[in-house]
Amino acid sequence: MPTSTEEVAFAPIDAGKPGSSKLHVLLIEDSQLDIELVLKELRRGGFEPTSSVVQTQEAFRDEVRVCNPDVILADYNLPGWRGMEALEILRQEQLDIPVILVSGFIGEETAVEYIKQGATDYVLKGRLARLPNAIRRAMQERKLREQKKYAEEELAKKMLELARSNQELEQFASVASHDLREPLRMVATYTQLLAERYQGKLDETADKYIGYATDGALRMQTLIQDLLSLSRVGVEGPERTVVDCNLLLDEVLRDMTRVIEETGTVVERSALPEVVAGRSQVAELFQNLIENAIKFRGDRKPTVMVKADLVKQDWVFQVSDNGIGIAAESRENIFAVFHRLHARTEYAGNGIGLAICKKIVSQHGGSIWVESEPGQGSTFKFTLPGGGRQDPA
Amino acid sequence: MKKSPEILLVDDNPADVVLVREALADTAHQSHVHFVVGSEEAIAFLGRTGRYQNTVRPDLMILDLNLPNRDGHKVLAEVKANPSLRRIPVVVFSSSGSTGDIHRSYELGANCYVSKPGDLKRFFAAVRAIEEFWFGYATVPKRENDERSSAARTAH
Repeated sequence: MPTSTEEVAFAPIDAGKPGSSKLHVLLIEDSQLDIELVLKELRRGGFEPTSSVVQTQEAFRDEVRVCNPDVILADYNLPGWRGMEALEILRQEQLDIPVILVSGFIGEETAVEYIKQGATDYVLKGRLARLPNAIRRAMQERKLREQKKYAEEELAKKMLELARSNQELEQFASVASHDLREPLRMVATYTQLLAERYQGKLDETADKYIGYATDGALRMQTLIQDLLSLSRVGVEGPERTVVDCNLLLDEVLRDMTRVIEETGTVVERSALPEVVAGRSQVAELFQNLIENAIKFRGDRKPTVMVKADLVKQDWVFQVSDNGIGIAAESRENIFAVFHRLHARTEYAGNGIGLAICKKIVSQHGGSIWVESEPGQGSTFKFTLPGGGRQDPA
Repeated sequence: MKKSPEILLVDDNPADVVLVREALADTAHQSHVHFVVGSEEAIAFLGRTGRYQNTVRPDLMILDLNLPNRDGHKVLAEVKANPSLRRIPVVVFSSSGSTGDIHRSYELGANCYVSKPGDLKRFFAAVRAIEEFWFGYATVPKRENDERSSAARTAH
């Protein structure tokens, strides 16, 4: 006679059969005959089943925790409850165990309702041969659910880590801006004061050393300033507005009047379009590229040309010069931060300008690259999404 | 003879105090620079309490924000909330260039915000420009008048 819970272990008939696997089933069933039919079918299907049997809701609630079954097989026609409650109990207990309904007769509507409530499948008692495959499929699905859940948890963890590390980076930028600049300002101003007061009073070597110290401190101030600009590109998602690049270029060139006049640079420009972008960022982009074009001028009178063409949906801007150009092997890395091609004595700079350009363009969903003929000049090109509507004004 | 301007410098960095004094050492205005290192000292100086009983009322305050406990804004707020002190022009002179600090200073009633330059020549130039503007071009409330009017108010 079946008791309310009963551990029934059967000798594994199919133990030798390849692919046979251990399986613990929890049966909600009051017919000993049906239990044995089910287990027999499972053995035939390649399982080594062990089982627990319950008949009441209370027994089910207790047993499901204790025996941790691989699958639950529920008879639909039990006195007092109809298996549907088992699904509810599993939900309450937050257990993800597949439930397969095994019943002598079940209408289609009932079956659909069960599946809706979370049952994995249903198998008629007259067609028990289907059961092993139904179980395999249910267990496979459960495994996939677990893997998905695991992957989602891992992803959430990674996102959290990323957010945290981003936050730390922002804090670092803020520390660099305030706490590093302050002592550095002391070093810079006091070495300068030393130079001013003691120039020529010590000896030539001392003057030279003070000069190195001053130069280093001032360079580091610029470096910190530029690093901050670079980090801010990522942090401050700028407000995107409609930017008339012609007006923007006017402003940029006005700011650069002095260097343009001093170097006798000729700026040629054609009509530029409107883009939707962060205004100050695009200004910085133009300014960095034009500054570079002037800085790396050759022996000829420097000429800088700014234009834009619509290619498919995007505007391709270009800033080209007739300067010293860039050798093919050097072109790949020039957008990396701190990457410099020339000795500091030849060309000043700290290798951040183009890194900022790249970051700005990427943030706008565009790309930046360079074409160059060494000795003839360079052309920096970048794309900004323009929606492809507006013609150059 | 015209009286020398009295400047109160509130800055806890002795190196910057030296620089400000150096900058103003040989100027035509011959300002007297008094300095205090923290917010409490600044308030005591202005209120002429405690060890500052015999000090003068300054014509201009140059205020660093980066005092202990980041108290610069507090000093600014107290001065501008005090009817007998609020007419003293306050120049915030800070190494911070952050938008937040600048906005907050003007909101609290700062008369001017100058970032401390990182280069000696520009630092000297900035300090001399502050002095030249406030005592060469701007008109500031006269010390005597101010005291008389606040005394008159008290008498009522």
